Amino acid sequence: MWVKIKNWLEVRIGLEELIRAQLTEYRVPRNINITYTFGFVALFAFLIQVITGFFLLMYYIPYSELAFRSIQDIMTTVPYGWLFRQIHVVGSNLMIVMILLHTLSVFFMGGYKKPRELTWVLGTLMLLATVIFCVSGYLLPWSQLSYWATTIATTMPTAFPIIGDRISELLKGSELVSGITLNRFFAIHVLLLPLVVAALLSLHLFLVRRIGISSPPFGKSGEAERPWTEYRHDSHAEGYPFFPDFVLKEMIMVMFACAVMFFIISFLPTLLLPEEANIPADPFRTPAHIKPEWYLLAPYQMLKIIPNKFLGISLQLIITAVFILWPFLERKEETNILKRPRLLGFFILSLVLWVVFTVWGKYS
Amino acid sequence: MKKREFLTLLLTLLGLTAAGSFVYPLVRFLAPPSGKAKSKQITFKKSEIPVGEAKEIPFGGVPAIIINRRDKGFIAFSRVCSHLGCLIDYNKIQNRIICPCHGALFDLEGNVVSGPPPKPLQKFPLKVEGESIVIG
Amino acid sequence: MRYLLTLLVILLPSVGLTDYREEFRKEFLTKPWAGVQVPKDVCVECHSTDMMKPEIRVIPSQWEMSWHYQNGISCHNCHGGDPQDEANSMSPERGFVGTPKYAKVPEFCGKCHVGILKNFLESGHGKTLKVSGKGPNCVTCHGIHNIQKASINIINEQLCTKCHSYDRVKIMKQALFVTENKINDIDKRVKILKSEGVYTEDEDKELFSTQAEFRTLFHTENVSLVRERTDGFIKKLNQIEVRMQKTFEELRFRRNFSAFLMLLFIGLGIGLLILSKNPKE
Repeated sequence: MWVKIKNWLEVRIGLEELIRAQLTEYRVPRNINITYTFGFVALFAFLIQVITGFFLLMYYIPYSELAFRSIQDIMTTVPYGWLFRQIHVVGSNLMIVMILLHTLSVFFMGGYKKPRELTWVLGTLMLLATVIFCVSGYLLPWSQLSYWATTIATTMPTAFPIIGDRISELLKGSELVSGITLNRFFAIHVLLLPLVVAALLSLHLFLVRRIGISSPPFGKSGEAERPWTEYRHDSHAEGYPFFPDFVLKEMIMVMFACAVMFFIISFLPTLLLPEEANIPADPFRTPAHIKPEWYLLAPYQMLKIIPNKFLGISLQLIITAVFILWPFLERKEETNILKRPRLLGFFILSLVLWVVFTVWGKYS
Repeated sequence: MKKREFLTLLLTLLGLTAAGSFVYPLVRFLAPPSGKAKSKQITFKKSEIPVGEAKEIPFGGVPAIIINRRDKGFIAFSRVCSHLGCLIDYNKIQNRIICPCHGALFDLEGNVVSGPPPKPLQKFPLKVEGESIVIG
Repeated sequence: MRYLLTLLVILLPSVGLTDYREEFRKEFLTKPWAGVQVPKDVCVECHSTDMMKPEIRVIPSQWEMSWHYQNGISCHNCHGGDPQDEANSMSPERGFVGTPKYAKVPEFCGKCHVGILKNFLESGHGKTLKVSGKGPNCVTCHGIHNIQKASINIINEQLCTKCHSYDRVKIMKQALFVTENKINDIDKRVKILKSEGVYTEDEDKELFSTQAEFRTLFHTENVSLVRERTDGFIKKLNQIEVRMQKTFEELRFRRNFSAFLMLLFIGLGIGLLILSKNPKE
C-alpha cells in the first residue's frame, strides 16, 4: 500500500530524487554542534503558537467589554481551554528564548559573515517581528497588566519631538489605550504579523538551504580559507546526512523544550501570569509596579536611566540599526571568534550589559 | 538490533500516547457545550405582583427581583449589586432601588444613578403573555 | 563602533545627575496621554500644609493609611465640597457639610452605609445616642480617618468596658464567633485561589455579600436575632466552600495532567537520545 502511494508520487514529482537531494544526501558539517538545533526549535515554537493561537481564536472575543471575560471562559469553562492558553503563553516566551539563543550562537560562530549577510538581516527582522508579536498579543487579554504595559509601550514614541505624539496616536488609534487599540493590535497579531513572519521565514530558510549550512569555525573545515568571489554551495561531502541523523538531534531538542514548557505549566503556572494578569483592565487605576515583560526589561531600564528621553530613544534605535546591519559593519573574514579577542570581548560585554539591565529593570 | 527495535517500539508507544494526550483535549475543546444553555423559565401570574410591588426569587442560581413598575410595567433583574456583590433592595415607598452596603442607587431600568457600582444590574429577559409573565 | 562607545561614555556621567525614577514617572506615567488621570485634590493639598493646626495637618496622612483610601474614597465623598476647585472646595452649594456633630455621625456615615445605619438606629447604642446625645457612635469603634477593614477584634474588653460590663458583650462575641471564623477561613482560601491564577469574581462577590449582611446584622446588637440567622449564613458559606473545593480539585487535576505530559516528553527526549547513540549499522 505504502509502495503504491510512493510510486504514484514518484511518477509525478520524482519523489525519490527529492528525498535524496533534500533529506538523505543533504549533508551537514561533521563538526556541527547542538546550538545548530536552536533555529529549528524556534520554528517549532512558532508553529505551536500558530496552532494554539488558532484554537484560542475560536473562543476569544476581540471586543474590550468581553475580551477579559472570554479569556476567563477559556480558562474555566471551555474543556482544556486552560491547556491551550497556557501553551500559548509559555510557548511565546519559549519562542523568544530560542530565537535569542539562536541569534547568540550564530553571532558567536560568525554565521553572519559573507555570503550569509542577508540571512542575518532576515533573522533580525524576524526577531523584531516576534517582539511585536509579543507586545501586540500582550494587550489581547485586556487585563490590568495588558492595559498598563501597553500604555507604557505605546507612549514611549512620544519621546520623539514633533512626530512622536503622532506615532503614539497611530499605534493607539485613539488618545488613550482603548477598544480601538485592542482591535488594531488584534489585526496586527492575527493576520499581519503571521504573514510577515511567514514571508521572512521562507526567505530565511531558502537562503540557508541555497547557500548551505555554515560550518562551526572551531574545527577543520576549510571554509574560511577560500575567498568568496562567485556563488558556490558547500555540500559538506564529509558530513553526515541531514535525515535521519540531524533531524533526530533536532527532535531531541524539541522534546526537551516541550518538557521545559510543561514543567512550567505544571509547577509554575503563575510565573508568566502574575496577579495583575487576572484583574480586568481599569483605566483609572494604575497597579503599583507595572513593568514590561522580561525580554523588554533591558531597553526599558536603559530608557529609564537616560534622563533625556529623545537621546534614550535615539540610542535604542541606533543600537537596533547596528544589530540589524551588523554583517555590513563587521567584515573581517575570520569566523573563529576565539582568535578575535576584541570581538569576543564586545560580545561578552554586550551580553553582560543586557543581563545586568534586565535584572536591574526587574528589581528597580 | 534487538535494542534498537525495542527502543523504536517504546518511542512509538510514547509518541502515540503524547499525540493522544493532545487529541483528546482538542476534541473536548472543540465539541459543543453540554447543555450549558439550560434556559429554565419561570412563569408568574400577573396578579401575583401588584403594581408598585416586587417579588424576590432565585433565578438560575442568582437572587433576582421582578418589579411591577408603576409606569413601565414588569422588569426582572439580578439582585447582585455590580459593585461588590451585596443584594439590592427595592424600596416600594420611595420607588427606588438601593444597595444597603455602600448606598448605591439604581433606577428602575437597573442603571446606576449614583454610588460606586461600575455597571448596571444584570437584566433577565421577560415576556408578558396574556395573564402571565415569563422570565428566561 | 568607536562612535557608539564614545556616546556611552558621554552619557554615563549624566546618569548620576538626576533622580531618573521621578523624572521617568513624571514624563511617562502622569501625562493625560499616558492614561493615568492623577486626580487633583485641593482638600489634601491645603490640609497637609503648615497653615493647618497639627491635629488637622495629620489627617491626610491618617486617611492614606485607611481602607477608604485604598478603595478610592476621599474627603469630598464624605464631607462634600469640590475637590478640584479651590474656591468651591468648602461650598455648601457643592454639598459641603463639614464635621458632623457627635450625635449626627451615624447619619454622616450612613450616607453610604445605608443598611448599617438602619440596624444601628434600632440597637441599644443607637437609641441611647438619639435620646441622650451620649453613647457610642461609629467613630467610637471604627476611628475617624484611619478606618481599617472591620474585624471581630473591634469588639474587645478595653473598648467596651468604658461604659458597661463586658458580660453581655461576651455573649454577642460568642454568637458571632463561628461565622466570623468561617468568613476569615474562606477569605484566606480565596486569596490562595487568586495566587494560583484563578479569577475569583463570583466567589469574591458572594463572600462579600454574605459577610456584609452578617456584619450589618450585628449592629442591631440583638443576640437572639444573630443566633437565629447564623444557620442561614453558615449554609451560604458552606455552599461557597463547596464550590471553591471543586476549583482546588480542578487545579490539582491540571497540575497532574501537565506533569504527565512533561514526563512523556522527557521520556521521548531520552529515548530519542539513546536512539541517536545507537546508529543503524
